[in-house]
Amino acid sequence: MILGRLTFGLLAVAVLSGLALAPFWSAARPLESLEALNGATPWGFFLRAVHALSSWGFLAGTLAHLVEVLARRSERKLPPGVWWRSVLLLPVAVLALLGGFLMRGDAEAQAALAVAREIAATVPILGRGLGALLLGGPGGDLAAVALHHAGTFTLLAWLLTAEHGRALAPDLRSTVLAALGSFAAAGVVPVALGPAVAPDGALLLGPWYLLGLQGMLLHLPAAAGWLLPLSLLLALGATRHLEGRARSALLAFAAAWAAAFLAFTLRLLLAAR
Amino acid sequence: MSSRRDFLSTAWAAAGAGAAVAGVAALGRALSGAPRGERTVELTADLLKRAEAEGGLIHEGLLVRGPAASPVVIDLTCTHLRCRVAPVEGGGFSCPCHASRYDAEGRPVSGPAPRPLARPRLVPSGSGFTARLS
Repeated sequence: MILGRLTFGLLAVAVLSGLALAPFWSAARPLESLEALNGATPWGFFLRAVHALSSWGFLAGTLAHLVEVLARRSERKLPPGVWWRSVLLLPVAVLALLGGFLMRGDAEAQAALAVAREIAATVPILGRGLGALLLGGPGGDLAAVALHHAGTFTLLAWLLTAEHGRALAPDLRSTVLAALGSFAAAGVVPVALGPAVAPDGALLLGPWYLLGLQGMLLHLPAAAGWLLPLSLLLALGATRHLEGRARSALLAFAAAWAAAFLAFTLRLLLAAR
Repeated sequence: MSSRRDFLSTAWAAAGAGAAVAGVAALGRALSGAPRGERTVELTADLLKRAEAEGGLIHEGLLVRGPAASPVVIDLTCTHLRCRVAPVEGGGFSCPCHASRYDAEGRPVSGPAPRPLARPRLVPSGSGFTARLS
C-alpha cells in the first residue's frame, strides 16, 4: 500500500530533521532556544517546520492507513500479535508528537504538561511514577520529555512501522516523496511558537491531534484522558478476532468515537475564537 | 549473517527489557509514595510589604495580597487539571486550559473546576511566612 510506505518515509524525514534540530534545543531554556533557532539561525524556522509537518504527516498517514486497512479487512493478513502492535503505533505516534509539543516550552506547552501529569496520575498504582518517568518531576526541566520524544517513542514507532511494513527502512522513492512534500508544506504552513505566558482570559489550545480530548475533559474527569483512548485501541485491536456483526459493532464504536472527537475539536476551536 | 527477522526479534527483546526496567522503576517510585508536588514557598517580609504596597503580586505561582502582617495567599493552580490560572480584569481568575472561572476569592463560578483555589497554610518564619502547599 502506497500510503503505508509514504507514512514510513515521513517518519524517516521526521527523524532526520529531528536529528538536525537537536543541537539547537536546550532542556533548561526550551522556548528561548527555539526562538533563537527561529529568528537567528539560517533556515532554522524552515527546519522546525519540516520536522513538525513531517511528524504531523506521519500521524495523519498512520491514521489514514489504519482506516484503509480496516476498510479492506486486510488486518486479517497479519498475525494477531503484529496487528495489535500495529494498533499500538497510534498511541506511540501521539506520545512522540506530544513530547515534541511539550518541548516548545511556551504557555501552551506548559499547560499541556500540567494536564498530562494529572492524566498520568489517575492511572492506578503506576500513575505518579509513570508521570515522573515520562514527563519528569514537577519543577524539573524537559530532559525526560526530550529523551522519550527522541528516543523511546521514536524508536518504538520505527520498530512498529518496520515490523508492520516488513522493511527495516522506507524505500528511497517514498522517502524522497515524503521529503519533497514536507519541504513544500514547510514553505507555506507556519509553525509558530506561542507566548511564554498565557494572555489574560485566553483559552490555550493543545496540539491539534488532542483537541478533541481537551474538549472532552471540559466535562469528564481526568481519567478519561487515558480511558477513552484505551477503549478505542481495544476496539481496534479486537477487530482482528471478530467477524460479522461483532466486528461491525466495534467499527461503529470506533467511528462514533472519532465523530465525538471531531465534534469536541470543533467546539473547542469555536470557543477559542 | 542475521536476517531481518533476527534483527527485529533482538530489537523487540531490547525494547521489552527497557520497558520492563522502566516499569519496575515507575512501580518502585509509585509504591515508595513519591510526594505529589508538596512544596513550600518562602514569603519574606520584603515581599509581603511589596505585595501590600502594590495591591497584590504573584510569586512562584501564588497570589499574595493584603496586609503584610496577615497576608491572603491563593495558590494559582486550577483545581480541575492543575493548569496555572491567571487573574482577569475586574477580579477573579480564569484557567486557560478548560475555561474554569473563579471569583476574586478563588471560588469556582463556571467551568469544570470542582473546588475553590487552594489557600496554602502559612507558618510564621522569621519576619515573614512559609507557605505550605500540599
